[in-house]
Amino acid sequence: MSPGTTTEPATRLDLPPRPRTWPRRTLVFSALTAFTVATCLPAIGGIEIDLAAIAQNWRHGAANLSALLQPNWSFVPRTIQPMLETLQMAFVGAAIAAALSVPLTLWAARPTNPNTVTRTAVRAVINVVRAVPDLVWATILVAMVGVGALPGLLTLVLFDVGIVVKLVSEAIDSTDHPYLEAARAGGATQGRMNRALALPQSLPLFSNQWLYALELNVRISAILGIVGAGGIGRLLDERFGFFAYGDVSVIILEILVVVLLIEAASNVLRRRLA
Amino acid sequence: MNAALDSRSRTATSRPASERPVLALPPRPSRLGQTVATAVVGLVLLVSAATLDVEWSDLRELPAAVAEYAALMFADPDWSRLPRALFEMWRSISMAWLGAMLCVVVSIPLGMLAAHGVGPAWLRLALRGLFAVIRAVPEVIIALVLLTVTGLTPFTGALALGIAGIGTQGKWTYETVETLRDGAADAVRAAGGGRTALVRWALWPAALPALLSFALYRFEINIRMSAVLGIVGAGGIGSMLANYTNYREWDTVGMLLIVVVVTTMAVDSVSGALRRRIMEGA
Repeated sequence: MSPGTTTEPATRLDLPPRPRTWPRRTLVFSALTAFTVATCLPAIGGIEIDLAAIAQNWRHGAANLSALLQPNWSFVPRTIQPMLETLQMAFVGAAIAAALSVPLTLWAARPTNPNTVTRTAVRAVINVVRAVPDLVWATILVAMVGVGALPGLLTLVLFDVGIVVKLVSEAIDSTDHPYLEAARAGGATQGRMNRALALPQSLPLFSNQWLYALELNVRISAILGIVGAGGIGRLLDERFGFFAYGDVSVIILEILVVVLLIEAASNVLRRRLA
Repeated sequence: MNAALDSRSRTATSRPASERPVLALPPRPSRLGQTVATAVVGLVLLVSAATLDVEWSDLRELPAAVAEYAALMFADPDWSRLPRALFEMWRSISMAWLGAMLCVVVSIPLGMLAAHGVGPAWLRLALRGLFAVIRAVPEVIIALVLLTVTGLTPFTGALALGIAGIGTQGKWTYETVETLRDGAADAVRAAGGGRTALVRWALWPAALPALLSFALYRFEINIRMSAVLGIVGAGGIGSMLANYTNYREWDTVGMLLIVVVVTTMAVDSVSGALRRRIMEGA
């Protein structure tokens, strides 16, 4: 625009019209409200928000909570053996899952497995495994193989494999792989490419997720015993059944300490591995 | 500089081969630490596997057992109880949704206050400590403690999900707020805005998409957790599943598993699509 053409005085700045967002906004908001209201209707399976029950049981609950706040320290020796079992399950489960996750991950990622059929099959199985919650696996496995540490271990392995394979294969999918392309151009077979290039390259991703799986395992295996799958959860459930809240609070504190310790340790390890 | 380099390379090449100094390779880095660490981890692993109360020989019969139970569950699922299962599933979804709402409504203000540059330092440290403690307690244990107050109801489950999620959700909130660019916040401060104006006009609009996306993600997590809480007795699909597993009515258990898996995957995909749309725009 040359100065000659704009002879008239500066006009008011033309603001663009305000975008009309209110119809969509109202729609989204009312949809969310309708959904929320529907979740609160007991008639169709929703939840009865029963504040009156809380008000009524408040004294009872407060007494229990104050009992929980008085840990019975003499109970500590009895918790050590189950806690060790919990940690063993977490560690062994994470190790087995780590070993299983490597071939499955390479199967589930596109750069390391160009075959659509097997890739989709592995991914579908992993997605189904992941869609079943941990304690549901434990319940069913306990019914299948009996009470003990074995169903707990199997639950942890299934759960870890689901997480590690999903996260690592997605990470492999979303990065470029110039080395793999070079190797392919040089005539390498897929198996050699995976072993010589893809595996060493994705090892840091793997070790990161393995540590994460170990952390999650400690947390989960602490409650697996509730359905009979071994570890400290069994003791927790038993003491709850006896209303021995002093013992329960010792167990909860112990779980808390162990979880925090494992988290701190794995943070240190992660920083060293990175 | 260049001349010096040139002369050095010339003298190096003009020297006879026998006089050329042997290239001093740096010493091989010691792998002792790594070897010892691997050995220790392997040893601990072996000891824990050996002392674990598991008959490893049972594993041989496992594939046959899995095949047998899979046939019992999925060969002919009992669809006659499907209406009841859907009713219970909706109860679990409600639990998950209300838990997510409660969690988000509480954790957004708390998380904002825990972010650098918003709340005072003592409050920040206190809130972060609270989040860390809540994160360390498994959800089921929070539910078990709540049971003593409100009794075994789905409402307990929703409350437990709401409280248990605050730890992680609060952490995500303050991390999101802290990674926002400072431009808008500086502009609000320069225009004389106080803490409220800062949150309302700089942080809230910029963080909203991420926070909404996290809220949906919380709902996805809660869908899984609500089934778990049902097993502990909070009601919903988890309770039904635990009951029929105890009755060993495997055809019903198979049907319930199908309902759980299909619902979870459907919720995941819808919520995932919404999250992508929120984060990337239409």
